[in-house]
Amino acid sequence: MLTGIAFGADESAEKAEAIFKANCYSCHGAALKMSKLDLRTRETILKGGEHGAVVVPNNPEASLLYKLVSGAQQPSMPPGKKLAAADIEMLRTWIDRGAPYDGIAPADEDKLKTLAKLEDRPIRPEERKFWSFQPVKRPAVKGAGSAAVDELWLKSLAAKGLKPNPQADRRSLIRRAYLDLIGLAPTPDQVTAFVNDKSPNAWPKLVDQLLASPHYGERWGRHWLDLARYSDSAGYEFDRDRPTMFHYRDWVIAAFNRDVPYNEFVRLQLAGDELKPGDREGRVASVYLRLGQEANIKTAQTRMDELDDLLATTGGSMLGMTIGCARCHNHKFDPIPQKDYYRMQAVFFSAKPVEEPFAEAAAIAAHKTALAEWNAKLKELRAAKGQIDKPYRERLLDEKKSKLPEFFQIALKTPADKRTEGQRLNAIQVEKFLVVDDKELQPLLNADERARWTKLREEIAALDKKKPEIPTLLTIEEKRADPSYFLHHGSVDSPGTEMKPGILSVAHEGEWAFPDKTTGPGLGRRAAFADWVTSPSNPLSARVMVNRIWQHHFGEGLVRTTSNFGKTGELPTHPELLDWLASEFVQQGWSIKKMHRTLMLSQVYQQSSSDRADGIAADPENRLLWRQARQRLEAEIIRDQILAAAGTLKLDLGGPGVYPFIDPSLYAGSSGRTWPGKQIDDPSTFRRSVYIFQKRTIQVPMMELFDTPNGIGSCSRRNRSTIATQALILMNNAFVLDQAKRFAARLKQEAGDQPAAQVKRAFDLTLSRAPSPKELAEAVSFIGSAPEGLVDFAQTIFNLNEFAYIP
Amino acid sequence: MSQRFLSRRELMFRAGGGIASLAVSDMLARAATTSPLAPKMPHYAGKAKAVISVFCYGGVSHVDTFDPKPELARRAGEALSGKGEVVVSQGTPGGILPSPWKFKKYGQSGMDVSELFPHVAKHVDDIAFIRSMYSLSNDHAPALFQMNTGSVLTGHPSMGSWITYGLGTENQNLPAYIVFQDWRGGPIGGAPNWGNGYMPAMYQGTPFRSTGDPIVDLKPPEGMTPERQKRWLGFLDKLNAEHAAKNPQDSEFAARIASFELAYQMQKHATDAVAINTEPQHIRDMYGVDGERTQYVGKQLLMARRLVERGVRFVQVYSGGGNFQESWDAHWDLKANHEMHCGETDQPVAALLADLKQRGLLDSTLVIWHGEFGRMPISQRLDGRDHNPYGYTVWMAGGGIKGGQVIGATDEFGYKAVENRKSVNDLHATMLHCLGFNHEKLTYPYNGRNMRLTDVSGNLIKELVA
Repeated sequence: MLTGIAFGADESAEKAEAIFKANCYSCHGAALKMSKLDLRTRETILKGGEHGAVVVPNNPEASLLYKLVSGAQQPSMPPGKKLAAADIEMLRTWIDRGAPYDGIAPADEDKLKTLAKLEDRPIRPEERKFWSFQPVKRPAVKGAGSAAVDELWLKSLAAKGLKPNPQADRRSLIRRAYLDLIGLAPTPDQVTAFVNDKSPNAWPKLVDQLLASPHYGERWGRHWLDLARYSDSAGYEFDRDRPTMFHYRDWVIAAFNRDVPYNEFVRLQLAGDELKPGDREGRVASVYLRLGQEANIKTAQTRMDELDDLLATTGGSMLGMTIGCARCHNHKFDPIPQKDYYRMQAVFFSAKPVEEPFAEAAAIAAHKTALAEWNAKLKELRAAKGQIDKPYRERLLDEKKSKLPEFFQIALKTPADKRTEGQRLNAIQVEKFLVVDDKELQPLLNADERARWTKLREEIAALDKKKPEIPTLLTIEEKRADPSYFLHHGSVDSPGTEMKPGILSVAHEGEWAFPDKTTGPGLGRRAAFADWVTSPSNPLSARVMVNRIWQHHFGEGLVRTTSNFGKTGELPTHPELLDWLASEFVQQGWSIKKMHRTLMLSQVYQQSSSDRADGIAADPENRLLWRQARQRLEAEIIRDQILAAAGTLKLDLGGPGVYPFIDPSLYAGSSGRTWPGKQIDDPSTFRRSVYIFQKRTIQVPMMELFDTPNGIGSCSRRNRSTIATQALILMNNAFVLDQAKRFAARLKQEAGDQPAAQVKRAFDLTLSRAPSPKELAEAVSFIGSAPEGLVDFAQTIFNLNEFAYIP
Repeated sequence: MSQRFLSRRELMFRAGGGIASLAVSDMLARAATTSPLAPKMPHYAGKAKAVISVFCYGGVSHVDTFDPKPELARRAGEALSGKGEVVVSQGTPGGILPSPWKFKKYGQSGMDVSELFPHVAKHVDDIAFIRSMYSLSNDHAPALFQMNTGSVLTGHPSMGSWITYGLGTENQNLPAYIVFQDWRGGPIGGAPNWGNGYMPAMYQGTPFRSTGDPIVDLKPPEGMTPERQKRWLGFLDKLNAEHAAKNPQDSEFAARIASFELAYQMQKHATDAVAINTEPQHIRDMYGVDGERTQYVGKQLLMARRLVERGVRFVQVYSGGGNFQESWDAHWDLKANHEMHCGETDQPVAALLADLKQRGLLDSTLVIWHGEFGRMPISQRLDGRDHNPYGYTVWMAGGGIKGGQVIGATDEFGYKAVENRKSVNDLHATMLHCLGFNHEKLTYPYNGRNMRLTDVSGNLIKELVA
């Protein structure tokens, strides 16, 4: 079993809240407000009670609350017992840090009644009639599987008087299937075998082979990672690394490879800890709940922002709904009441972020012991060193004090109990910040002292570097049901009614049952919510997912706004087809691989992508799919293909992220933000790009410029921009040139010294076809006309449009 | 004279010797007009065509620079009282700390400026000071994000992205939006400060370096000569044209072919644009390009002027990078900190204003000088000041701004903005107005909403615009 440890850099807010909750709320909380003091929010704490302010932020000694709990002033609080020394110290730290606080106090009862009226926004029956809220209706079709897909597609095409394109040639087909499913071009041998395989099963066999490849998960898992806004760092100010996040990435890839049913895939991410308690997969999958950015300084507001990010991501990716729009008001366009938002927030509210050791129990216990020993030893060494330099330190401090501005001197000379408030603050400044460092002390020590002192100093420095460590995982902990509220205008300062968990009311008639547990671990809320998301009666989930699969096979979704099935989104171009697919998906056990097969075996998938004059005239955007799409490859696949062409791509699966070279001028500087980039020719970086360490604020330029999302928001469809700086990278980047040299060397090795053979080999390897006679002649002449002809030819290949598009 | 009105086409082909074959020239022309970066008209005729943002990262102390508070000297060492809770970001507030610097009145408008900015002080009649700014966060990164993107959260497009999205660019051979970081490093928060947020990557800021090649990968690595490069690019062009001929209507193929032509041109134009060694000595001296302290910002602002002349829309120059004393973040030793950073920026910033003016470019170039927040009137760590988002000063000049005036005021200590308070959204609304945009109508669709730089608020500061 694994134990939870406290989260984050500044946990004092949470600790203070817990201390008050356990010891003080009974008299200074909801039930009673003795001395008119309410300790449930920062606002009320700062306001204080009838004895005035109880907390002076940053000044524990001046805070009545601290005086009373520490016993410095009577009556000591809480009455009849004394807080644990650690708790008193924690409150001191908390006040010293400015008394940050997460608590939200409910509004007074009268106000609540008024507010409650504003909170209700019933769903009107006609609002449920919008297409995406209607139950999925399987249309009657003659055929089954791929034939049904073609039947429905051809129907809309015929209605516009359009014919489909003929089937693509076999070289295009195999190249399309490889790039689409595994993101790698077929080898020349694979192309030849497929072209020569005249059996009717050649195509289905190929699709099945590719679906069984471990590289399928690397390609399609990445699509999900875009939606989940996967990242290996925390974002915001310091963008700290999350060195074990890759376990989630690897789980996603493996889940696609294992064809984990989509409903299960969703359930594990939302509630893996509840559904598979104590199980590694459940924990790693539910890291989904921790993928978002997290603030450095935590407040009630940042917690709300983090939950909003989670809700917006979940709503968009799993439900195709922009529920984030209902945070501050009822959704302006869709029938999503603000109350739905806060009821869905209540589903996740009590799942608190924690960082847990991620190791076996024995290793965790051993780490705990080692850490205690390390701490004790460090303390001992520091004390010994301090003993030696104490007299010199004190003397130096006195000298420094005498040089301070006059008002500081006066403050120090005034007896503590006679100081004005300003003098008191200034005296604290001196005590805390007038310091002496080791460099100043060293020359003052005598030879013997200096020898002992220096030795201790070195020992401390050495020990500092040896802090016992243990791998951890960011996850959540749900101990108890914490109350959460409807926030009017989305403001933490305007809480309304306490919220119970709920779902999107427009998409389900009546209430959805949630368990009434108040203590954990696990309240069952997320599991119940996941049950609703993946319920066959949910009109959104299956439609949204099949539409995403469609988008990647055909360039655009049947609904082009793949994460927005609301009124501001687009309508489906083929509503019947979408519903047939959604229904088929559920019938086939939510199997993603079966869906691929159904789509890829269809005629619509296999048709050629060439333009036709009548098609362009009637349907320039190809909405009815009179041709297959010509999709530009994503950043990752372009880079993978360069490595594959050069013969340098390493196909290892999974593990920690790798660090390709980034020019230091692009990240140098602030907040310890670093990138331990390897040299451009370091083979450890020659891995598939899905394994590049994904830092939110530092991206490999080739990835960034070719539109890899930055992991800040959920990305449902990548931008496909074409800009000059992309060309600059492919022209001038040292990594690209190095790979071009390796590609040239490979061509020489595999095809010999004859340019014609080299050109043919290059086309076979990278474009899955032979060069045309004209291309061949031009290329041969190009290679022959300069000493670096072959290398430059290799680089030219990397830059071809054809290289960067799925045919 | 201003070169700003050279056409894109002229700039593109002026140098001659592009890589494009005849076969693709019409493709290039088409790609240029359909490019999302083609020049666009704003909502109405704005005076400003470009913006230069001088971002003093870390937080400038307004009470030591442009917002004099004699009360601080009178009440040295006293507790700051009567202004509500004193909120500090890093704990342990001290008593009131007087400014170590003296103020004097300058210009016909009689504006107060401290002795930290003697050069900028000479231009006060062209400058409008907003002394009543406030921000929403006292933490650097969220405050930086707010100043740059309008939101304290990451993921939103930055000012330069909005402007590029709204106006396109007059020079396709240069990035439309360029960022110079401080020589000591980047600001906290990094790339999202010039990020495109939910917009396509083409709208993001391109970091420029002030020594060597301005853009990473602008030039090929050693060994690849220009002749060799031109040769293979020509060959690429041929093969790509043959491929595109199969689907001649495909605008994506055409755009990608054009991008290589533009990249090729950019290699020369970007290098020329920052070639400040071609500037006459008196101009270099004016910016302090050869001065020990002024060289960094001096070079960057001179480059900024050259870029704006060439049609770049938005240039941001950071003063301060890294942490603490490397930036304006004077938590201790305020005196050394601000003397260093003012010493580095005062002369170059003044030179920028003078230079733009003498070239007739100040009217069409909006200069915004700002940090992410101000600093506290009380001491921290004995001789420093903590962050203060409740009241601070920014200033604007040129681009249709009426100079020689002060908007708003802080309280007698400079702790909080109290009169005519102005938000970052207001500042952005005003900037967009100068460029010809109604900030409520410049929108980008995302997640089912029409997003704005100013989100759901912001008001034009009418007094500012002449």
